[in-house]
Amino acid sequence: MFQRFSLSVCFTVFAIAILLATAGPAATETLPEISVAVPESTEERAYLGLEKEPGETFSLAEVDADILLIELFSMYCPYCQAEAPLINDFHDLALRQEEHDVDIRLVGLGASNTQFEVDQFRDTYDISFPLFPDKSMALYKKLGGEGTPGFLGVLLKEGHDPEIVLRQSGGFHSPEEFLEKLLESAGYK
Amino acid sequence: MKHIAAFVLITALLVFYPVHDAAAGGPVSRFYDYIYNPGDLKPVDSTLKVRVGDKAPDFTLPAISGNDVTLADFRGKANVVLSFIPAAWTPVCSGQWPGYNIVEDRFRQSDAVLLGISVDNIPTLYAWTQQMGELWFDVLSDFWPHGQVAAQYGVLRSDGTSERALFFIDKEGVITAAEVVDINTRPPLEDIFQELGAFDQM
Repeated sequence: MFQRFSLSVCFTVFAIAILLATAGPAATETLPEISVAVPESTEERAYLGLEKEPGETFSLAEVDADILLIELFSMYCPYCQAEAPLINDFHDLALRQEEHDVDIRLVGLGASNTQFEVDQFRDTYDISFPLFPDKSMALYKKLGGEGTPGFLGVLLKEGHDPEIVLRQSGGFHSPEEFLEKLLESAGYK
Repeated sequence: MKHIAAFVLITALLVFYPVHDAAAGGPVSRFYDYIYNPGDLKPVDSTLKVRVGDKAPDFTLPAISGNDVTLADFRGKANVVLSFIPAAWTPVCSGQWPGYNIVEDRFRQSDAVLLGISVDNIPTLYAWTQQMGELWFDVLSDFWPHGQVAAQYGVLRSDGTSERALFFIDKEGVITAAEVVDINTRPPLEDIFQELGAFDQM
């Protein structure tokens, strides 16, 4: 009887230990090297803090910001279309926020889209952050995309590798909540 | 004692089970999710039976709007763009029609009507297109006789689906452009805008 009891206790403790171990913090994930074309637009280059010229490429890790939010989207994706106004709201919120001393920038990667298609999406939804085509979906795959819209929050700290601190598949319901989540994941809260 | 152990274990599971994140993602277009992924298909599996300059074969087909649509009815009134897609319920995000949903203005500018068409039956097309959100263009079912219109145009594949093809037909009912693309890819939007521009030159 006693043996049975202690066996049960051992099993329980073991189970709890396993659960605690698996519930622990995830290992840090470095942002893979992602290179895109330097935007033609002076405003976009200034937004990203790039010194480079059109015709060159730049790495997303070079963006002059504390947090970079990468959106994986497609012009053909109805959920991305529906979400676009909300993402614009989020962008405004992120740029306006003064509570935390943090610079946030957004970029979009158009999975399977051509430049023309990306431009169409930008114009339709009046998107105020830079969008880049990813026709072959090489970038999407490199980033481990799981559907669109998808988001990766990247912490850019000088002297450190860019770190993916947030991954989200699907849109978010509230710009305010998503901003909180992003700031928390990046350690700003 | 067994009951106590079971109770502790269940409590532990409930306490440590990951809490669902309320801010977690909304609907997402997964490329290969619950939607059937047929894998990579033979790029083209048919031979075009029409050419630029030919009169477009006329047809009357049922549409998801509930009407029957006859191609000849547009003669003298509107240019027509026929968008054949292989099959409903293939990955939505690699589908074209949601993309065309945001360029209605460009079609109207060129006095062009867009008609989606596939070999699927009406209920299938209805359910699939409802998932995309409301489309501004009508969608035709080439289900019975199966693929007859696709066959007339020369875009019926050997498995009974159609090619991914676009036909541009002017107000005289003449084919001004025909594009059959690799079924695994999408025709770039710029190609469509180019052919719409060609309508404007006429």
